[in-house]
Amino acid sequence: MQDSPIVIETRDLTKRFKDVLAVDSLSMKVRKGEIYGFLGPNGAGKSTTIKMIMGLFHPTSGEAFINGKLVNGGGVELRRDVGFLPERISFYDNLTPIQTLNFFCELRDVDKSVVPSLLRDVGLEGAANRRVGTFSKGMTQLLGIAQAMIGAPSIYVLDEPTGGLDARWVKAVRDKLRTLNEQGATIIFSSHILSEVQALCHRVAIIDNGRLVAEDTIDNISGGLHIRPRLWIQSTGLNEKTLSWVREIEGVEDVAGKGDSMTITCDAGARLRVMITMQEGGLVIKDFRTVEPTLEEAFVKLLSEEGES
Amino acid sequence: MSLNPRSVYIIAKKEFADNVRSRWIVALIAIFLILTIASAFMAGGGSVGEMDLTVGVLMTISSMLVPIIAIMLGYATISGEAESGALSVVLACPVRRIEVLLGKFLGLGSVICSSILIGFGISGMIIAGTTGHAQWGGFVAFILLTMLLGLLYLSLIMSFSALLKRRVTSLGAGVVVFFWGMIIGMVMMGLYMSTGGNLNDFISGDSSSVPDWFYVEVFLSPQDGTQTAAMLAFGQTELMGFEFVVPQWINLYSLAFAQLLWTAVPLMLAHWWFQKRDV
Repeated sequence: MQDSPIVIETRDLTKRFKDVLAVDSLSMKVRKGEIYGFLGPNGAGKSTTIKMIMGLFHPTSGEAFINGKLVNGGGVELRRDVGFLPERISFYDNLTPIQTLNFFCELRDVDKSVVPSLLRDVGLEGAANRRVGTFSKGMTQLLGIAQAMIGAPSIYVLDEPTGGLDARWVKAVRDKLRTLNEQGATIIFSSHILSEVQALCHRVAIIDNGRLVAEDTIDNISGGLHIRPRLWIQSTGLNEKTLSWVREIEGVEDVAGKGDSMTITCDAGARLRVMITMQEGGLVIKDFRTVEPTLEEAFVKLLSEEGES
Repeated sequence: MSLNPRSVYIIAKKEFADNVRSRWIVALIAIFLILTIASAFMAGGGSVGEMDLTVGVLMTISSMLVPIIAIMLGYATISGEAESGALSVVLACPVRRIEVLLGKFLGLGSVICSSILIGFGISGMIIAGTTGHAQWGGFVAFILLTMLLGLLYLSLIMSFSALLKRRVTSLGAGVVVFFWGMIIGMVMMGLYMSTGGNLNDFISGDSSSVPDWFYVEVFLSPQDGTQTAAMLAFGQTELMGFEFVVPQWINLYSLAFAQLLWTAVPLMLAHWWFQKRDV
């Protein structure tokens, strides 16, 4: 994927609203075939950036490109290949989902025969003749995802695609994104839910206060921050003495105790040897769990480092 | 500037279909029909009156009602849809902003024009049938002038909808737009009186004593412009007891040209503001 062509790029993209700098010289590249996560706390500038990529907001300075063409000034055809889901999507209340999708099919010059299968894809076939105005937030969101899939675009730009959905549909949408990606689509989506990004994305960009804090694979971001894999063990009769004994076992880098459990930092390959040594030493292991480095930790660490600098 | 007529048509069709679905268009036709017939009875003093007199009466209310309808249809087109988020999905499609703007203008404009045409047209036929003769030339001119008045106010309110951020502020702008004709009328009248004008000269139609600059008012107030043009179209010189004489340079052509400018300039401003807008 390193050598794949760049489908979305921003160069020093900046947006200022009166006295607020919402996006600050943001440069990023999304390559063909990637699922690219756009991560940051609420108000970090994710939606503003996405709207500039879609040409809805005019940048104060800098540029955005889709398939190498300048978004502002490159004509409207470059959007034909892009499916878009805005944050807090809204449709025309007086239309049914069928009428809504028909309208967008016409605007995109796509045959309307795809509409029933799109509705089925997002589970709205039962509500096909209801007015969108009567829809719940989640249903509107699902209709928005169906709308984005019109014409099977090769690029998806999705702003918080699982926002407002209940757990069942969050999974359905994630599966759908994965399937679309397997079929060759490039997906960029924003989220403030770390686990979601971690589960789906090849690469992530983390932004805070409008600035790009990191752009890399999750492994590299975690690695760069020295977040190590760990082992969580529940035992009985833990005290300072046992903890310092564990700390001496070969391969153990660090130990932190809490009640009758402890968290051991060590290489994944050393885990079994550490546990065997502990058992042979007479420690009763009641339960254990491996803890992989999470994006959550990387995120918190990055944002706190950002705050200090 | 390139333009895809197909996109304009799709947007226009949707706006028109929305108003058919919501039965708005039927309500408008009924209102225009009832108003015209009522005006005819008023003008005829109990029986159906002649067309020119009917239009004289009808004009006083339709020149208020048509702007209100246009403002109601148009005030939220851009600001309202931008606020709700519906517009961003449309603009993420391969369509130009000018196509969306023109589509909305033409779609809502055809709602206004078709309801005026059908409502006034049917009542015109009823009047012609009962009175035995008709001044169709004047009546058709009146229908066209009323349509133009509707398009004019639609264009005016859409420019504000493109400029203003929020739905409620553009509704507020709609109120100002509606009263503009009356405001400018009052201002001009105030200027006339304060420069030694005489109300009697004005009402009696002694145009020799009314200065030329005063008549510019009919170009500044679209509502008065339409009323004046409709009177001229019928060759009327009296309206409900008031004498009505205007200088030579105020004629059907100069008035229609002014109304067209009032339509075209705001539409261009709407385009300019919409292009610059963050949606």
